[in-house]
Amino acid sequence: MASENQNTTRLRAQIFAGLSIALLLLSAWVIWDDEFGLRPWKHYQKEYKALKHEKLDKEYQDALRDFKRSGGARRLEMLEKQLAKSEEAFKQKGVHEQYVKLNAQIDDLHAKMALSQKELQMVRGQYLETEYYFTKTQKPEYKKKMDELQRQIDAIDRSNKALIARDEPLMQQISKLTGGMDEIRAEIEAMKKALEERKEKMANNDKAPIEIKQYMIKDTDKADRCVSCHAGIESSAQVSKKQPYTKHPLGFVYLGKHDPGKFGCTFCHRGQGRATTTIEKAHGNVKHFAEPMLKGDMTQTSCLNCHGDIKNLRGAEKIAGNTELVKKYGCYSCHKIPGYEGMGDVGPELTNVGTKVNYSWAVKWLMDPKKYFSTARMPKFFFTQDQAEAIADYLFSMSGTTRHDVDYAANTPNEKLVEKGRSLWSQARCNLCHMTNGKGGNHIKVYAPDLSKVGSKANKTWLFNWIKDPNKYFPGTKMPRFRFTDEEITALVEYVVSEYQDDDAENSYTTQATIPAASIKKGKDLIQQYGCYGCHKIQGMEMVQVAPSLKSQGVTFLRNDEMREKIGTELSSIGSKPVDLLDFGKLKKAIPNDRLSYIKQKLRDPRGFRLGLRMPNFGLSEKEVNELAAVLYGFTDSNVPNRFLVPSRQELDRMAGVPGYKFTGDFAKVIADVKCTNCHSIKGIGADYAPDLSIVGSKLQEGWIRGFLANPDVIRPLMQQMPKLGLSGGVKPAKITMPRFNLGKQKVEDTNRSDVDVVMNYFQQELVTPDIPKDIPTVGDVAMSEQIAQGRKLYDQKGCVSCHQIGTDGGALGPNLTNVGNRLKPGFIFKHLENSRKFKPDIVEPNYGFTERERIFLTNYLMTLKLTAK
Amino acid sequence: MNSLYDKVKKNLIWKSVFRRDYRDTARNRAMAIFGNVFLHLHPVRVRESAVKLRYTWGMGGITFLAFIILTITGVVLMFYYHPTVDLAYLDMKDLEFQAPYGVISRNLHRWAAHFMVIVVMIHMFRVFMTGSYKAPRQFNWGIGVILLVLTFLLSFTGYLLPWDQLGFWAITVGTNMGAATPLIGYQGPFSEFLHITPYNDIRFALLGGAQVGGNALLRSYIWHCIAIPLISVILMFVHFWRVRKDGGISRPQH
Repeated sequence: MASENQNTTRLRAQIFAGLSIALLLLSAWVIWDDEFGLRPWKHYQKEYKALKHEKLDKEYQDALRDFKRSGGARRLEMLEKQLAKSEEAFKQKGVHEQYVKLNAQIDDLHAKMALSQKELQMVRGQYLETEYYFTKTQKPEYKKKMDELQRQIDAIDRSNKALIARDEPLMQQISKLTGGMDEIRAEIEAMKKALEERKEKMANNDKAPIEIKQYMIKDTDKADRCVSCHAGIESSAQVSKKQPYTKHPLGFVYLGKHDPGKFGCTFCHRGQGRATTTIEKAHGNVKHFAEPMLKGDMTQTSCLNCHGDIKNLRGAEKIAGNTELVKKYGCYSCHKIPGYEGMGDVGPELTNVGTKVNYSWAVKWLMDPKKYFSTARMPKFFFTQDQAEAIADYLFSMSGTTRHDVDYAANTPNEKLVEKGRSLWSQARCNLCHMTNGKGGNHIKVYAPDLSKVGSKANKTWLFNWIKDPNKYFPGTKMPRFRFTDEEITALVEYVVSEYQDDDAENSYTTQATIPAASIKKGKDLIQQYGCYGCHKIQGMEMVQVAPSLKSQGVTFLRNDEMREKIGTELSSIGSKPVDLLDFGKLKKAIPNDRLSYIKQKLRDPRGFRLGLRMPNFGLSEKEVNELAAVLYGFTDSNVPNRFLVPSRQELDRMAGVPGYKFTGDFAKVIADVKCTNCHSIKGIGADYAPDLSIVGSKLQEGWIRGFLANPDVIRPLMQQMPKLGLSGGVKPAKITMPRFNLGKQKVEDTNRSDVDVVMNYFQQELVTPDIPKDIPTVGDVAMSEQIAQGRKLYDQKGCVSCHQIGTDGGALGPNLTNVGNRLKPGFIFKHLENSRKFKPDIVEPNYGFTERERIFLTNYLMTLKLTAK
Repeated sequence: MNSLYDKVKKNLIWKSVFRRDYRDTARNRAMAIFGNVFLHLHPVRVRESAVKLRYTWGMGGITFLAFIILTITGVVLMFYYHPTVDLAYLDMKDLEFQAPYGVISRNLHRWAAHFMVIVVMIHMFRVFMTGSYKAPRQFNWGIGVILLVLTFLLSFTGYLLPWDQLGFWAITVGTNMGAATPLIGYQGPFSEFLHITPYNDIRFALLGGAQVGGNALLRSYIWHCIAIPLISVILMFVHFWRVRKDGGISRPQH
């Protein structure tokens, strides 16, 4: 019995001992893990310090080698010897006493100089005061006093000069005594300093403590510890290209403009700023963390958080380009998106579409626009033949027409008219906006329809009326009114219809057919259900009732005139929408359950998530999907502190109560017709596709503008073909010239004035700037011919010829200057030479720092460059 | 009158709370010493059969061990935690990423909490199956039931403290259930007789407001860290003391 007890006791002791050892080991592991396992940044910081040490050491060794090689070491040795010798001499008897005596003399002298300087200031003050009284009262006694004071000033000046003259020899005597000790010491110090500084830098690096580093942003409770691992992110020199030691790309913009101490990292990059234990956790790539880190170009999506206007924003080029897609496809037509209110309809007006197009074409188009034109912007709604017919029926019935097609394919066109039309087509440069057979249509922001098959789509009557006055059919269209005569329009229509036929067109309603009433009703219901009125103005949809088919699904919205209610989901905060509010439907297991994947999938296949979805398929390319997703991801309701916000120019103006610029008078009528702002920007209105015309009146000569409008030609042949040398480069636009609008042939509505006169008048009166003088200053002492010769010399010396062309000589990067004397106003050239970036910030022209006289000479020379009319 | 007095005073419940009267007699003085919990927390002797693991499973003791672990780690966590809406979640993140030994403290606290709830239930199951709730241990069974509820409440209030989605909705659901309590919950039956509204019912009392917010967080924190542990400790003393007074840990009858 006793032995059994002993056995159990021993067993228990063994178990206890085993568990104790296990606990001890466990405790040791806990300590190790807390010190190293959970703090990988310690390792990274050590590594970074080693890399930096290596780099600094190499720099130091290089500097040392240079110092030795360039004879610095020998010179240092020599200086040190000299210094020792001088010091020895200075110690000799009597030298020191003399040194003290001389120093006392110098001090005395300097005190006297200071005193006399003070006196001079006082007398000058009195003089100025007297001068003031004299100019005010013109009394002779003041004049007398002024003369007296002037004499005093001269006297003091003289004595001052005498004092200064005494200073120099004294200094030389002292220098002789000391043997130039001070200078030698200074030189030795300077020589050593350069090397010492490098050594100190190295020592500082070695001394730097290994510790957690973070940016605290108090009012948002942010603590971004990214810098604990990314130790070199803020430095200007690259220590290593390996992560996490690199410096921030384009740091002078991103970090220079956004002090990390105030902004932190996660405002732009998202991710889990507090996490430091693993890379996945810190970058937010863990389950249930909704904001994974943004990398590379995707980070630019965060610019949208604070910047109201990202056009021309340095470092936001990608996202600025991407936002164009929102405008291209008109996302704001169906979705509420902040900053895109009141943008106008993205699709054409359909009020009278029945008078415009063939019924068969309309049905075909409705079923799949991309099948008709691969570049079509209208999305595919997956309508069946019946549904497409119903919608077309509704639209045609509202236009007061029936199912009808006009087929010109069988007609023989009038060859003479066609020829005339063809030449008009190229003169008016229709291809600038409209694409035909894969050519033209480069004007990326106008989105004019492809006309390759227009002859089988629209009828001649409509085309005629449209070209004659586009605003009449579609107020607010981007199509300009070219000032063609009726004969010219007839020719143009004949050409278009005969040239651009669709071989696959099936016109099955060449004999008209009445529209069944049931179909109209069905069409109306479909239009309401799919919200066609979001992009198109449609008759009978001004006050849209809820479609019966939707009411049964529980949808109860009502659209009012201002389109306050949109058919789609609001997108103002899609970029920060909680992931569990996104309906992945049947794709829950097929795609990653994060916000970005959802957005991309929605853009790729809008109806793929489940049945009953209404969003149409835009047939976006994968590139467009990524770009658009980047923009949508930037629409957040993130709690950005007010101090970060940079409102756009328009918002600022609105806040300050400054009314936006508006065109006035007859010019407004011309602009509404010719649509100059499709391409040109005027006082902040319009596109940045053609030159800004805000100060055109100060820049260009009237005669030249008139000539140019009558017959536009290329000013800068190569400019448009080359990518911009700025950061915004990228797309390579083809050679563009301005179309001829035939201005001057007609009078402006309700007035007696020619439209070209109205334009000229507005340019000269309104679009001018006081910064540019009308005339340049004159130089009296040099004859005009000599000035011109001097200017010409300057032109050659400074190498202007390498970019600018005169006659046939010179480069083509800058504008051709052959006719500049007829084109530009002298005041503009004069100011432009002073600072070319003032009026065009992204210009490539270097600033040569010309003096005023040089600028006058150059201007006078350039004004002689005139092309005489042939 | 007398019969009512007898009915109130001469029953088991009264006697189990007020074990003696206050007359200054030798017996009462002795009873005061015998009944002192600090002098008699641990029994003078333990029978060998009582430490047989097979019979008791040691669950009561293990529960107490878990409680001690929770107390210690809980105190450590309190050094890093602010019970405010802005900071609570971030403090929890900092415990995970930054505070020295934060990970082990928090994880120990969490796992020990789960462990305690499970173990306390097994303990109760054992007590029931061995019939240890029967006289003379019926009073201690009652204390045990209260301790069980307190353990659940500790678990429930601690759930909100990380201030994450899980805790937020758990407390929302839990207190909404409270709102359906008869009489004192505004959604419960008969509450209209007491003029109960969402602003004076039991849910309001639990949350310190009509919805889960800063006050609910603070209340959870106070209940979790101070009030319930205090009550639990007192009742635990009674529980242990009663174990001894009822003849030691229950054991097989030989």
